[in-house]
Amino acid sequence: MYEYARMKFYCDENRCIECNACTIACAEAHELPVGINRRKVITLNEGIEGKEFSTSIACMHCTDAPCSQVCPVECFYIREDGIVLHDKDKCIGCGYCLYACPFGAPQFPKDGAFGIRGKMDKCTLCAGGPLPTNSIEEFELYGQNRIAEGKVPMCAAVCSTNALIVGDADSVAEIIRARNAAKGKGTSSPYGWDIAYK
Amino acid sequence: MKKLLPFIGTILLANVPLAEPNKAPINSSSALNSPQLVESIPGWHKFGALFVYIQTHWINILFLIVLLAIPTIFFLHYKVIGPKVFSHKGKKFLIFPPWQRVVHWIAAAGFILLVPTGFLIIYAKFFGGGSFIVFARYLHLIGAILFAIAFIPMTLMWFKEMLPQIWDIKWLLMLGGYLSKEKKEIPAAKFNAGQKMWYWIIVFGGFLMLLTGLLLYLRDFNIALLSTFNLNNLFGIDILRISIIVHLLLAVIIVTFFFTHLYMSIFAIKGAIASMIDGYKSEDELKHLHSIFYKKLINKEEKF
Repeated sequence: MYEYARMKFYCDENRCIECNACTIACAEAHELPVGINRRKVITLNEGIEGKEFSTSIACMHCTDAPCSQVCPVECFYIREDGIVLHDKDKCIGCGYCLYACPFGAPQFPKDGAFGIRGKMDKCTLCAGGPLPTNSIEEFELYGQNRIAEGKVPMCAAVCSTNALIVGDADSVAEIIRARNAAKGKGTSSPYGWDIAYK
Repeated sequence: MKKLLPFIGTILLANVPLAEPNKAPINSSSALNSPQLVESIPGWHKFGALFVYIQTHWINILFLIVLLAIPTIFFLHYKVIGPKVFSHKGKKFLIFPPWQRVVHWIAAAGFILLVPTGFLIIYAKFFGGGSFIVFARYLHLIGAILFAIAFIPMTLMWFKEMLPQIWDIKWLLMLGGYLSKEKKEIPAAKFNAGQKMWYWIIVFGGFLMLLTGLLLYLRDFNIALLSTFNLNNLFGIDILRISIIVHLLLAVIIVTFFFTHLYMSIFAIKGAIASMIDGYKSEDELKHLHSIFYKKLINKEEKF
């Protein structure tokens, strides 16, 4: 039987050097406006020796994504490979997905004269949206569709230390296992994975 | 003026954000784009999961009950027990001076925008979503501004008359006499216990709705205020989650009372809405529905 891949993101905190290449590459590749941070690099315990670490965070493309559960217009759809996408034509910018999201992934541009939330924008795992693949309309609303072209998502492609990995769940788990084994560590679930993936 | 120029220059320069070419725009005062974002992930099980549960299991049902059951109950009440009809001839008393009516109608205009657009947002899928609902959200904001303008004057202008009084218990026990057609003297001063409930729901509930709505509108705000309240274990995103839960559940109660208020003023007591238009209530209506207030008015008149 043919099985689809289950796409997952993983950021290795031991390798991330806070170079912000992923955020810049993401913003440039998808031509995101200022204030829309699909991917963020965040440093915790800054300045505390031994405890400081950085991690890169974006939409984790969760199992049973909470955002898709709470959406009042049901504009989310989850692809067979687990990528969570949404339809901006249906989106009303209510912000419920942000409140439901454990990772703060949904981004909202300020819209119009009253400065209310515009239509939601988030990481698409470089898989575009519901519009015709690689059309200009799709690029303008959702950014590049690199998955359709067989390319690695932009952020992982530019990661200089290979801290940020994206791919099929089994392959990602294999890499994590190998890295942990090399350091003599046991198997441990990456930060946030217990919430994102069931 | 020349002496001031260097100072003005410093102030202007201080406001220019200096770009750090190698850094993504991470704002330390932001709650959604700072270490808080990562720290708050394990805390999702508290309010995040609660919001998902409430939104997926209860909100649609609760508002559907409010939207269908409440009007049905009132329709049956109208058909079975029927409205109260009072004579609007004869002596009239000025109850609401013009400025009170203006404040009331500003709040009312706010509500007329807020409630239907709120329903549009909750049942956005039914209405197709997209730009139509985005427009509804604009109106929701305008409604909120109108309500906010009227909120403080309305709270202050009726505060004294809205304080609970002993006969309000009696009113509540007989449900204001609305379960029978019989005309009798109902114990109430200027406002009856039902009106008082509506008032206090607006004062406390309305304040919370404005506050939570403002937080949801601001979305990403400086949480310095939280540390002054010793709420450091709460993250900005948790505040948003609590806000949306409070906003939605409180709306159920407020909308229920809003429908009741509409039914009472337009249908259940014939011509009651006139007192909010021209400010006068008829003697017959006052005598029966606000008997204690009426007796006071009569005593006052006799004294003069």
